[in-house]
Amino acid sequence: MNRRVLHILLPLITGVLFLTVWHVAVKMSGSDIFPTPRHVLDGLGELVRQGLLLKYVVASLFRVSWGFIAAVLVGVPLGLALGWFRPAYAALNPFIQILRPISPIAWIPVAILWFGVKDTAPVFLIFLASVFPITVSSMAAVQNMQQVYLRAAQNFGLGGLELFRRVIFPAALPQIITGIRIALGVAWLVVVAAEMIAVNSGLGYLIIDARNAGKRYDLVVAGMVMIGLIGLVLDVLVRRLEKFDEVRWGYGQR
Amino acid sequence: MKLIRTLAIVLTVWLLGITALHGGLNLRWFAKRTGGSAGEKTFGVGFLPVTCHLTCPVTHYINKEMEGRDMFQPMRFSGWPELKEMFIGRPKDMPAAFILAPMAIALREQGVKIKIVHLGHRDGSAVMVHKDSGIFQTGDLRGKTVAVPGRYANQRLIIYRELKKAGMTIDDVKIVEMPPPDMPAALLSRSVDAITSGEPFMGQTELDGYGRTLWQAKDVWPGFISCVLAVHEDAIRDHRPEIQRLVNGIAASGKWIDESMAHRMDAAQFVATNYYNQNPRLLSFVLSKPPDRVTYSRLKPLRPEFEEIERLAKEAGILQGTAHFEDYVDDTFAPDPTTVNAPKFEVKK
Amino acid sequence: MGNAEMENIITVRDCWMSFAGKEPGAEVHVLERVNLELAQGEFVCIVGPSGCGKSTLLNIVGGFLEETRGEVNVEGALVNGPDPGRIFVFQENGVFPWLTVEQNIGFGLLSRLAAERDERVRHYIAMVGLTGFEKSYPRELSGGMRQRVEIARALAADARVLYMDEPFGALDFLTRLKMRSDLIRIWQAEKKTILFVTHDIEEAVQLADRVLVMTKRPATIQDEVKIDLPRPRDLDSPGYLGARDRIFSIMGMDAHGGGAA
Repeated sequence: MNRRVLHILLPLITGVLFLTVWHVAVKMSGSDIFPTPRHVLDGLGELVRQGLLLKYVVASLFRVSWGFIAAVLVGVPLGLALGWFRPAYAALNPFIQILRPISPIAWIPVAILWFGVKDTAPVFLIFLASVFPITVSSMAAVQNMQQVYLRAAQNFGLGGLELFRRVIFPAALPQIITGIRIALGVAWLVVVAAEMIAVNSGLGYLIIDARNAGKRYDLVVAGMVMIGLIGLVLDVLVRRLEKFDEVRWGYGQR
Repeated sequence: MKLIRTLAIVLTVWLLGITALHGGLNLRWFAKRTGGSAGEKTFGVGFLPVTCHLTCPVTHYINKEMEGRDMFQPMRFSGWPELKEMFIGRPKDMPAAFILAPMAIALREQGVKIKIVHLGHRDGSAVMVHKDSGIFQTGDLRGKTVAVPGRYANQRLIIYRELKKAGMTIDDVKIVEMPPPDMPAALLSRSVDAITSGEPFMGQTELDGYGRTLWQAKDVWPGFISCVLAVHEDAIRDHRPEIQRLVNGIAASGKWIDESMAHRMDAAQFVATNYYNQNPRLLSFVLSKPPDRVTYSRLKPLRPEFEEIERLAKEAGILQGTAHFEDYVDDTFAPDPTTVNAPKFEVKK
Repeated sequence: MGNAEMENIITVRDCWMSFAGKEPGAEVHVLERVNLELAQGEFVCIVGPSGCGKSTLLNIVGGFLEETRGEVNVEGALVNGPDPGRIFVFQENGVFPWLTVEQNIGFGLLSRLAAERDERVRHYIAMVGLTGFEKSYPRELSGGMRQRVEIARALAADARVLYMDEPFGALDFLTRLKMRSDLIRIWQAEKKTILFVTHDIEEAVQLADRVLVMTKRPATIQDEVKIDLPRPRDLDSPGYLGARDRIFSIMGMDAHGGGAA
């Protein structure tokens, strides 16, 4: 079977199956509250007509973009430094491991106290959620690097910054990208929690507000669907990064 | 390095683009400046989209329509914790908020510089049960599950009070805490036996046909106080005139709401659509059936009423009892209810 | 003796090497009393039983490990680290996977002018027979081709000495044969000094001027077999077979490869 067809047809079939099961399940349970796929579609249409869907998607993407990119700019150099300099690792790694498991939701009070209810607060939360996976995988990338590359580089007389730029960084890059891919997933996942903080736009906000507005669970699920779809697109985009020659070698043969 | 360079370019372009889009669409950077006296920055007033806080959006709306500018910035929150944190952490941005009376007193006990300056409303609470449950009086609640908004909600106190009157203690029922918006669904699915909070969540169950009123606050505790308008002491010290204008506005719009049923229906429309993002029919229902379900008059804070709340709360274990009326109330702003006049305002049809 | 010593480019005197063992305070003795010399332009192979420490010895000479005791002298100075003039060729994965063939080969040449660099890279790509693959990435090449890249890289950087650690060990039989003859061809053209470690005795006899035979661990050099045959070597000639059998017997094995281990 043609590969293209495989990759489009199979998910499509699964999707249709899923929608059918969903619809039937709701109808059979006789629930007055849980929306069917049709309700969700209508809800989405309503949002488009009100001009809200674009606004909300843009708002969420805006916050995730800044929070995530800040996490990359901080986490990659930090992780590389920690992976390379043993004293730095010994000093800072325990703190990273302590902060890492704290859910962003637990940081919400701190975020409000520090940043109020502007966009900065959700950006901060998203940054927090993403910076740890990125730092840890950058760290691991350096620590798990093949000895051979280091030795060969030292053989050619490389040291210090040049060694780092020409060998350590390129060798670590595939694993760094993997960490980035995971972190982006986390960042996008956290957007709902982050937008609980009284901002008045965004997909996470849509879900919280629809819940507060009475029986608009069709909008709640519509928000979830949009979050899921955008998450898929983001993942596909990051996967394309893995096709670049500089890192393709690091991902196994298939 | 092709990868890094491509990434850097793509990300920079993306950041600029999404920021511009966000600024244009959501932050209204490029919109024409509307009204407002030059350079005057307004302060925020926090509220939740509940009927008890109606005077907040109504005051803002009427003022905007009549004078063409924002008296203050209404800041809507989804839940008490965020509202509380904003008030505590950023009083410069949001020096005023509608808040639960016991919560305000508790904050004062914990050292927050909060002062209650006005009431938000009277009554406007109820206990609902499922229409098919066999619960017809307070005594029937024994052993059942009751959902309350949280430990500082006045609904918790009223339950405590009613149970005491029926000869029961709080331990004779199972109390669970739940955000009010989730309560109707919980009642519908019978996962709790009774729910209590402010409107419109109680009325919603009645409107949708599965809820039945056990009792309304106005019937068991007339003049019941739930939410109050509280202001940070720094704002009282530094911005007296603005705070006075705010309180006057709140009092006046309360009078306006109670003046006629037509005003109530108008309020239901413009508040639900512009401020609460709810279905107007819900607000219309709770503002009219019965008409005295919730009232917005006689809102000056009075010592005996608060001392009763203090006493009950201390008994119920919610407050320490270390703060008293003069600590947490500043009643110098609230006008005498008999002198308050509603603004001459009609919604353009 | 003085003159001969001046000619020696590599001198290892009384080298011992121990590592820390699993138990605290335990030690693993890998090398003891190792002495060897290489003259400039020689091709010397080191053979020995598996795990005897030949790679360890090569790493010490290359400057990647520090000997526990003894003296290692290369090009007139004590070795205290790797040097760009003396390149190590690894068994696998020595080539940088994020660089193309030509970028790899040009790796040691970044300080030179672009024109000169390109010329050298072109020359050595041709010498190792990889013309046409300049822009390929290592993952697109076979194992044998990757090893060629590594050798070309060392040559392009103008290495005077090559340390080769079982460089053909991961390749199949026919490729190995081809690689050996190509290596000899290159060595004859470039006149480098090569110290070559292998477990394959046939390979040693096909390639080397001298074969140093090591004992089991803790290893020392137990014997040396000079091979004075013209290259390319005839695998059926009595000289070849004789040398091979001699090495077998030194290592305690009979002509059929069996016998005492």
